[in-house]
Amino acid sequence: MMAWVSTHPTAYVFLFALLTALATSLGVLPFAFIRTVSARGMAIANAIAAGLMLGASFGLLVEGTHHSGWATFLGTNLGILFIVATQRLLGHGDGGETAFLGARGAGARRMIFVIAIMTVHSFAEGAAVGVSFGGGTTLALAITLAVAVHNIPEGLAITAVMRPQGESLLSCAWWSLFSSLPQPLAAVPAFLFVAYLHAALPYGLGFAAGAMIFMVLVELLPAAYEEAWSRSVAVVTSTTLIAMLLLQRYL
Amino acid sequence: MESPSSPLILALWAALAALAAGLGPVLLGTPPAPRPRHLGFASALAAGAMLGVGYALMSLGLARSGGAATLGAMLGVAVTYASHVWLGVGAAPRAVRIRHAVGAGALHAAPEGIAMGAAMAADPRFGLFLIATLAVHNVWESEVLGTQILAGGVTRGHAALLGVVSNVPQVVFAVAAFAVAVRAPMSLTVLLGFAFGALTYLCLAELLPDSYRSVGRTSIAVVVSVAAGVVALLGGRLQ
Repeated sequence: MMAWVSTHPTAYVFLFALLTALATSLGVLPFAFIRTVSARGMAIANAIAAGLMLGASFGLLVEGTHHSGWATFLGTNLGILFIVATQRLLGHGDGGETAFLGARGAGARRMIFVIAIMTVHSFAEGAAVGVSFGGGTTLALAITLAVAVHNIPEGLAITAVMRPQGESLLSCAWWSLFSSLPQPLAAVPAFLFVAYLHAALPYGLGFAAGAMIFMVLVELLPAAYEEAWSRSVAVVTSTTLIAMLLLQRYL
Repeated sequence: MESPSSPLILALWAALAALAAGLGPVLLGTPPAPRPRHLGFASALAAGAMLGVGYALMSLGLARSGGAATLGAMLGVAVTYASHVWLGVGAAPRAVRIRHAVGAGALHAAPEGIAMGAAMAADPRFGLFLIATLAVHNVWESEVLGTQILAGGVTRGHAALLGVVSNVPQVVFAVAAFAVAVRAPMSLTVLLGFAFGALTYLCLAELLPDSYRSVGRTSIAVVVSVAAGVVALLGGRLQ
């Protein structure tokens, strides 16, 4: 197995990133037993995801800073710019009559927006998985695990929007998986980039960390604060962040 | 001549940082009209500085001992959460509102003081950087605190004084943490982790929600992440 890994590192990266994408589909599981997830439940799931992403970003930044503090800092700001630009791009819908699957109007627009947001975010997450392999197996496993676990609430969020529009569980699972397909697609070029251009590693690590931190600040935390007490969000997010740091340390 | 990391010098630097908190109410303008966007950005800058300081502290702690640093961080979250619940939030009568605002300021100041003491014990240069960062952070934070206090009907001078008083725990905890870390070097890593956990919790429980309420989430996310990045970069390079 290890020999196969060392001789086929690109396939290894693709496989791990594909597993993180598949984890997104697990978000539909609660809907097999219940019709809806409470707003507070979604808020806590978002707070957990925020802690995981912040913990993963911490690991990426520490690794990047070992190579070059300034390069990591520049990469971080590029990651932030990337997410701001894609958000601006997605935010300029014409607001006209929209149809998607069986839904029309506001429900359809909400479905498209959620799937589009998650899909664009997935590029940054895939890049994070890819570049983390340039920082060693321990970092790669920690980041892969963090992104995979983080993907579950994303699948939950997509299903929570699609299910009330009458979509089947299978359809919700497919669109959840679809939203994360950019992960294996982005992971491989990101890995090759840092593997063959080693000087790019701190920029790549910083980019991935910046994009993930920005997603936490612009999507996950505001969504969590809307439906849960800020104290609860703070406890859940900071505890998950610390657990993630411990996991990365002893994995 | 005192060493740059002696308790007396540390107390003086920490006191200067606490005095900076008196500037917030002064900078609010005349009359101190509520400016939600300005206060939202002040909270965001304070949050970014806090997260950046937290990152620098925890990366130093993790490099010393992962287990001790994470144990300290969990303690920091638990103790600050318990204090938060015990202190309570929001109340209508003037005296209670002012007391809560000052109490909240003091609650922020205690872990900031621990951060100062632990950082100074770890590396005097890093300690001085952290004290300077937290002094600037105090100005932003005290603008928010000052608005709440001034809304209670007190004078600007009184508000500035309350801002400084609420940061006195910073001096006390800085010296105490420094003394503990110097006498028991094993505790330094736990203190670094504690400061990280407490500052992260406070940032998530108070500063960030306040910012989101006043300004759009994208602007806040940009300000927080860039401010945290600058502080983490400078803090990391000074260790």
